[in-house]
Amino acid sequence: MWRLGLSLLAAMVLLFFGYSTAKTVTYDFNVTWVTANPDGLTERKVIGVNNQWPLPIIEVEKGDQLVVNMHNGLGDKNASIHFHGMYQNGTNEMDGPIMVTQCPIPPGADFVYNFTVNQNGTYWYHCHADYCYPDGYRQALIVHDTESYFYDQYEEEFTVTMSDWYHELVEGIAPDFLSVYNPTGAEPIPQAFLFNDTLNSNIMVKPNTTYLIRLINIGAFVAQYFYIEDHTFTIVEIDGIYTEPTEADTLYLAIAQRYAILLTTKNTTDKNYPIVTVADSALLDGIPSDLKLNQTNWLQYNADADHPQAVMTVDDATQLNPFDDITLIPHDRMPLLPEPDYTLELSVNMENLGNGAGYALLNNISYTAAKVPTIFSVMSSGDLSTNSLVYGEFTHPLVLEHNDVVQVILNNNDGGSHPFHLHGHAFQVIDRAPAYGATFYDYADGDPVPYDEANHTAFPQYPARRDTFVLPPQGYFVIRFVADNPGVWMFHCHIDWHLSQGLGLLFIEAPTQMQERLNIPQNHYDVCKAGGIPTEGNAAANTEDYLDLKGQNKQVGWLPAGFTARGIVALVFSCVSAVVGIIFLVVYGLSDLKFKGEGADGAAETSEVAGKGAGKTTVAEASRESSNEEIK
Amino acid sequence: MPNVFAPSVFFIVFREVLEAVIIVSVLLSFLKQCLGQPDQDQKIYKRLVRQVWFGSLSGVFVCLVIGGAFIGVFYGVGKDIWSKSEDLWEGIFYLIATVIITVMGLALLRVNKMKEKWRLKIAHALVDKAKHHNAKSWLGAWGKRNALFILPFITTMREGVEAVVFVGGVSLGLPATEFPLPVITGLLAGLLIGYLIYRGGNVLSIQLFLIASTSVLYLIAAGMFSKAIWSLQFHTFAQKVGSDVAEQGSGPGSYDITQSVWHVNCCSPQTDHGWDVFYALLGWQNSATYGSVISYNVYWIGIMVAVSCLLYEERTGSLPLKTQTLATLAKVPGLKGWAKKKQAISAEERAGIVRQGQAHLAGGVFHDSDGSLSEDNRQLAK
Repeated sequence: MWRLGLSLLAAMVLLFFGYSTAKTVTYDFNVTWVTANPDGLTERKVIGVNNQWPLPIIEVEKGDQLVVNMHNGLGDKNASIHFHGMYQNGTNEMDGPIMVTQCPIPPGADFVYNFTVNQNGTYWYHCHADYCYPDGYRQALIVHDTESYFYDQYEEEFTVTMSDWYHELVEGIAPDFLSVYNPTGAEPIPQAFLFNDTLNSNIMVKPNTTYLIRLINIGAFVAQYFYIEDHTFTIVEIDGIYTEPTEADTLYLAIAQRYAILLTTKNTTDKNYPIVTVADSALLDGIPSDLKLNQTNWLQYNADADHPQAVMTVDDATQLNPFDDITLIPHDRMPLLPEPDYTLELSVNMENLGNGAGYALLNNISYTAAKVPTIFSVMSSGDLSTNSLVYGEFTHPLVLEHNDVVQVILNNNDGGSHPFHLHGHAFQVIDRAPAYGATFYDYADGDPVPYDEANHTAFPQYPARRDTFVLPPQGYFVIRFVADNPGVWMFHCHIDWHLSQGLGLLFIEAPTQMQERLNIPQNHYDVCKAGGIPTEGNAAANTEDYLDLKGQNKQVGWLPAGFTARGIVALVFSCVSAVVGIIFLVVYGLSDLKFKGEGADGAAETSEVAGKGAGKTTVAEASRESSNEEIK
Repeated sequence: MPNVFAPSVFFIVFREVLEAVIIVSVLLSFLKQCLGQPDQDQKIYKRLVRQVWFGSLSGVFVCLVIGGAFIGVFYGVGKDIWSKSEDLWEGIFYLIATVIITVMGLALLRVNKMKEKWRLKIAHALVDKAKHHNAKSWLGAWGKRNALFILPFITTMREGVEAVVFVGGVSLGLPATEFPLPVITGLLAGLLIGYLIYRGGNVLSIQLFLIASTSVLYLIAAGMFSKAIWSLQFHTFAQKVGSDVAEQGSGPGSYDITQSVWHVNCCSPQTDHGWDVFYALLGWQNSATYGSVISYNVYWIGIMVAVSCLLYEERTGSLPLKTQTLATLAKVPGLKGWAKKKQAISAEERAGIVRQGQAHLAGGVFHDSDGSLSEDNRQLAK
């Protein structure tokens, strides 16, 4: 039976003996609706776990087996869990995105996530079903590591999550977002910004002590700047990759990005210092007057001392100068990957499709999920699995060969920035323009600037690696990774609104090796069955002919270009009725000449026309003489 | 170049001026017929002609003052109110303009009828004056003596104010810069055509000119009607979209695809110069909706039906059911007077009224003030 509450297995005991041997950590997640009011403004329905919200932080150690027994108790909503940043090497089916590596978990169903965590650092988990995680279904996932190079440099660690917050269910907002009445695709403006799922909180610190602070943006849309007044800190990790210790004062955390920083406190306890998070207002279509963009929480040295509000030094968030993550050097000093075996050039476009709503396109494809979760298409397609046609046109599948070095060039034809996330990998970030800082918006006006292979800045010798990287407005970035992780991996913008607009694609990485290595548990097939979703066949669920895509899910058609048949018909009709109407007027006008004679004593009469007068009355006759005389 | 000539304003001014000129000319010809014969007193005739001119010109003057004030107030006060929700107001104003143009436009094709109508009205007015034998009152006496001042004064003023109201109506949505040119040219054209009609130039070419201008007027009106519907639809679309709609220019997202019949990403009458001419004259839209296309066609069909009815009425003397309807309406207390007026007056009655009017002009008007004249007039009245 499902038990409410978090239960850690007996392995936990081992922890007290200081063993770092692998153990199994089990969480039972009964996912239900609860109410919460984290911003003190509005109480709303949120997705809770075991009837609680905020959700529990998942904490494991490197090498642990993590088991999450999830029960969907929502009653009216599909769900799943994606463990963001986990490579899932050999366990692609545990990755979480619905219709990619699993079926949506329907209400009432159970699902077991079970995988080995062979990595360390700061991660998070969230629902990866449609319109799901912004309703509160997201939280930190921390992999502790007693062997990290900085393990003995800090006394204590904290986790800080930051998040945008809506007062309405995503399902309620979405119809207005993806609508003909939102042609610009303007993303819904959040009502608040949370810090550790609350506001005005304190982090208690002792003077002259070093802490490890893990920062995660678990929001759905808005990136945030982070700084602590009068403090600098040392970056030691990004997205789970340890970096050479690097001094910084301000960070920019796009959605899904993580930083771990070492902070050494001051030697006095006179003051408490504001921890400032500032929402990146450049992403917002408009700023409502009641939206508070910057939040103050405190590094509390002394509970009795004053808790001052942050003093804003800039008028606009974009004037803040954040640390540029591309300059970081990974601690393992993994060198730049060799020249790619496979280069992919993609461009981001935001366009209106045939229904008038705004969609996001990668090389003119708006990601549209297949009828069969793509992982099952791989597993059931035999030798055809290396043929991308099997996976449909609109899942935008790209088949990668095992161990190829892959280079992705992403050009942005859109004026907004996009934090792109690759499942199953941390990639090397080797080029980006414009750089963070004052120049970041330089390309936003004018024409987009695509990557130019013949003319780019030198790639770094030891490029930074991360799993979520920000694509600048109308600029580009270039990343490299090795296709050494067989599986179906989604590459998508992590702004949840943009994902719902189709800003994503699928890498079908080493499908032959997937078939050899993956072993999908029966539980996954049961969940599909419960939801009525096929687990065999190509993208169109065709099990007979895997290359026949008839009936596949398609993206919305293109807007009609200019004059279509109906436009021409309408125009011709309009012209014809105008011409006929004018003919009527001409006939009517000319017939006036016939009435000339009537009332002929009018001054305008001329003798010759008067003679033709039709209706001759006595008066007309009588006065004709005079009128003739009148006109000389 | 754009935004300096509003064709609808031109035609309204032209039409109203033409009507005023016709009134004056009808009056002058009345005078000439009754008093301007060589055997009559030229002094009195000239004085009365002067009176007519004086009356008309002061009428024009007064209406210019009223019009100036009207437009001044309108642009001073009104602009702010409707600049906020431009499309809604544009839609409403275009509807008003369409109705005005449609109702008054066809009369341009019936200049002769218009003259007839005015002859009748003036005669009526003269008869009425004479009937009110209120000569004892000072005002009555003065009115009687200066009938030929008052009549043109009132009529030109009325036409003028009408023109001002109509011009205001059709141009509510237009910037003030579009006014002066069409008003002046419309004035000149009206005077010229009026004069040509008075002088009896080439009737056929005058009529052709009038037909051509009426056709253009109705093309404009059809476009306006279509544009009115378009604006109202766009207003509801823009309301739902919010401020973003302006960001879209003429590209995707700038229109409601669910209503779209055609859309070309160019040639916007608002943003691309040159196309605004097509827009003003023909109601061109780079983004046509079902509403705008259907209303355009419906408008023309309406015009065809209206013209057919008028032609039928002229040929047969009455529309089917018209007499019956009017007879029924005449029994309704409130509508009695109106229906009576509408009931067709026979040609003979008409002639009678005109004759009476002339008689009064010649005899009735001056009988207290100028005894010597009355004899001549009475003679003529026979």
